[in-house]
Amino acid sequence: MIVFNLLAGALLLLTGFLSVYLRNAVHAALALAANFVVMGTVYMVLQARFLGWVQIIVYAGAIMVLFVFVIMLLYAAQAEVGVDPLPWMRRAAAGVALAGFLALAYAFSAARSALGDKAATALLQGGTARVLGPVLWDEWRYPVMLVAALLFVATVAAVALLRPGRGTA
Amino acid sequence: MSTFYLLVSAALFALGAYGVLARRSAILVFMSVELMLNAANLALVVFARGLGSASAQAVALLLIALAAAEVAVGLALVVAIYRTRESTLVDDLSELKG
Repeated sequence: MIVFNLLAGALLLLTGFLSVYLRNAVHAALALAANFVVMGTVYMVLQARFLGWVQIIVYAGAIMVLFVFVIMLLYAAQAEVGVDPLPWMRRAAAGVALAGFLALAYAFSAARSALGDKAATALLQGGTARVLGPVLWDEWRYPVMLVAALLFVATVAAVALLRPGRGTA
Repeated sequence: MSTFYLLVSAALFALGAYGVLARRSAILVFMSVELMLNAANLALVVFARGLGSASAQAVALLLIALAAAEVAVGLALVVAIYRTRESTLVDDLSELKG
């Protein structure tokens, strides 16, 4: 188990780093897809089996295919090449990222004492659909409806934005 | 184990933040945003395990659905901008700066 956790953590960090480091957009997208797949397996180990499969199917499947599709559609010929117009931006971004990491690590270390309760973990029973379903459709029914409406609106918006004959303005 | 994955989550979030700020293509900025969303989801799943709370997992599921909606609209915007500007570099979209 420890071997799996270390390997998964290292893979998550490696693929995450590659996805923000690689210049070729297709390579970055593939690194991100690998990151999502590993993340799905980590969910399954962390007592969230249903979420793990949703992660692999929706994120690594649907969302990343959408990304690769758009990259292939209009981006393949246009990579991040040439002189960076804001050369100081990378250093500033690295500073912001480091500060964010330290702040998050501090906040998480404060919350650590609440975790690691084996009795509480047993309540999840692996986080299968049998456990998650009743919670979703009882306690979380209104948020589920709201998100469903939002997905519908987003789909209509995406189609409306790209309908032909909309003009070039 | 929980602490380890929380640290991984924080590191992934920081990597995503770096990508959002340093990347020049709108599509790659979007991918970095997805990385940050995933890092938040990982933290949610770790907390769900530690607290034995299926509600935290429900929030994570709703977050995945929200991310799907965000990607649909975001990529539609990128394609629409590319149609008029022939570019997806965020540096080319600077008309609104003060």
